[in-house]
Amino acid sequence: MQTTRFEAPVRFRDGIAIMDLRGDIDAGAEDGLDTAYGSVESRGARALLLNFGSVGYINSTGIALVVGLLARARRDHRPVQAFGLSDHYREIFQITRLSDFMAIFPDENAAVSASA
Amino acid sequence: MTVFSRGSANGTRLLDDFTLPSEPGREREAMERVARAVGALGLTKATLDRLKTAVGEATMNAMEHGNQYRADLPVSIQVEASDAELVVRVTDHGGGRPIPEAETPDLEAKLAGLQRARGWGLFLIKNMVDDMRVTSDERHHTVELVLRLKGGD
Repeated sequence: MQTTRFEAPVRFRDGIAIMDLRGDIDAGAEDGLDTAYGSVESRGARALLLNFGSVGYINSTGIALVVGLLARARRDHRPVQAFGLSDHYREIFQITRLSDFMAIFPDENAAVSASA
Repeated sequence: MTVFSRGSANGTRLLDDFTLPSEPGREREAMERVARAVGALGLTKATLDRLKTAVGEATMNAMEHGNQYRADLPVSIQVEASDAELVVRVTDHGGGRPIPEAETPDLEAKLAGLQRARGWGLFLIKNMVDDMRVTSDERHHTVELVLRLKGGD
């Protein structure tokens, strides 16, 4: 089973940062997530949307990295929302209660509208 | 060693039996191989996804905590099914020492920096399968992941 290299390019839409997560969110994603959040901070985005649409695998270490990202955003008073999660990872976000702190939407437009 | 669908007297069938070296990332092989082994059982996609996550996390724990990621210490994985249940047995070389009590993850505490961000593995496993049984001897530590099957009523 081949792992997929993680990338997290960030784009901006109406003052909202959208992080397009791609690949596996495991221990190898730490630096990429850290760099991506740095660019969100430097642009002073008022909210952060996490796009999980191109993520195929998230393990417990990846959950911890998402928790760390959420903690940083909360310290910065920056709301975080998510979209593009598969049914399985949506269930895991519910079990871990991540979805209590990060509203989950089916697609980008719905998430952006909720952040407006 | 690989043994497919070998039956036993009590109706339990061995679907697969294999080892993996304890190397970061190799848990993905365990997930895919177990998924292939249970292919004929007709599990729903949701159940199969949960089983794969449980297998991945149990294998990662075995490699990291049981075998300290020593590549020369393999993790053994057995997949067995009866009419009543599917059992995936993950064994490492971490026997003979106490198993530390896992901290129950508390997301609010983690977000406040009062609990470390990690520590989700065991919690995920317990929530992905119907039962988790742990056994240990002087040499080995085994986690059994159990899914109840409809035919076992």
